[in-house]
Amino acid sequence: MTEHRIWDPFVRVFHWALVGLFAANALYTNPEKTPHEYIGYTIAALVGLRMIWGLIGSRHARFSDFLPSMSGVLQQITDIATGRHRIHLGHTPLGALMIYNLIATIAGICLTGWMMTTNTFWGVDWVEKTHEVLVTWAEISVVLHVVAVIWESRRTGINLPRAMVTGVKRIPEGHSTDA
Amino acid sequence: MTAKNQPWLIILLIAAQILCAAYFLLDALSDGQELGMPAVTSIHFHFELVATLSLILAIVIEGRLLMALLRRKAHLERQVSLAAGAFQDIIEDHFQRWGLTPSEQDVANFTIKGFSIPEIAELRGSAEGTVKSHLNGIYRKAGVSGRGALLSLLIEDLIVSPDPAPSAG
Repeated sequence: MTEHRIWDPFVRVFHWALVGLFAANALYTNPEKTPHEYIGYTIAALVGLRMIWGLIGSRHARFSDFLPSMSGVLQQITDIATGRHRIHLGHTPLGALMIYNLIATIAGICLTGWMMTTNTFWGVDWVEKTHEVLVTWAEISVVLHVVAVIWESRRTGINLPRAMVTGVKRIPEGHSTDA
Repeated sequence: MTAKNQPWLIILLIAAQILCAAYFLLDALSDGQELGMPAVTSIHFHFELVATLSLILAIVIEGRLLMALLRRKAHLERQVSLAAGAFQDIIEDHFQRWGLTPSEQDVANFTIKGFSIPEIAELRGSAEGTVKSHLNGIYRKAGVSGRGALLSLLIEDLIVSPDPAPSAG
């Protein structure tokens, strides 16, 4: 069992704060009321900070560490098909696609949500529709994300949710990593 | 076959179908919620549900085909010769019959190619003990005593069989 410090405190706080705030706005708060708006602005600020952190943050937090890679995706699916266990210390190629999807979707939700508060777009139908469709898409993505994390944890023997809490990935003995 | 070298088409197709299935499923669920109890007697609702479920079934089957395709591709990157393809057909045929798991198939393929246990462990990113237990499973299921016997069994088929490419897959 080797331990690797992967996720810095900012990434972890960002992740779990987003979980809580998104759940609050998607499931509990009244969209017509101000708490919904303030939570939305907080999420927008978090996503903005995450993007900056993606440029200047720690190694595995940087976008350059998990650029979208088609060959990487194919490699990962082949590993699944053949039962191989090559470990990715940072985001896996498929995981990286999900991160970009979630960041883009949530940024879109924030943008359309804010637009609804402006005089120009208040009451405009397509803005509201887009906001709702993006929220549904984000909810589907979250479910897929959670299922994939559980699946990958079982497949590779690494407790991924735990790593997002402690920041440390515990790799079982004998697994080769992408260093 | 171009699909052999281009799994992308299949991957994109599966992704698109998953999106469709998710959409139809949500649609059917919200229809069911709206209709309430009358949904049970609505022919239209049942047609929708059956169509959605068959789409999901199709996705599962495609997924399995994709996995088999990638397993084959992992060991037959370029189909250099007819013989290589034919031999791979025979190998896969036997693996199916013995009921090897995906991991065992991968290890068996490496073993047939002459890789040692430490090399296979390195290639698969797993511990040597894991590879050894896979090998034991392979030999047990194939009913052979070791690597030499396993190879003989496969090559025998290639030599004796009048038609070396039975599945033409």
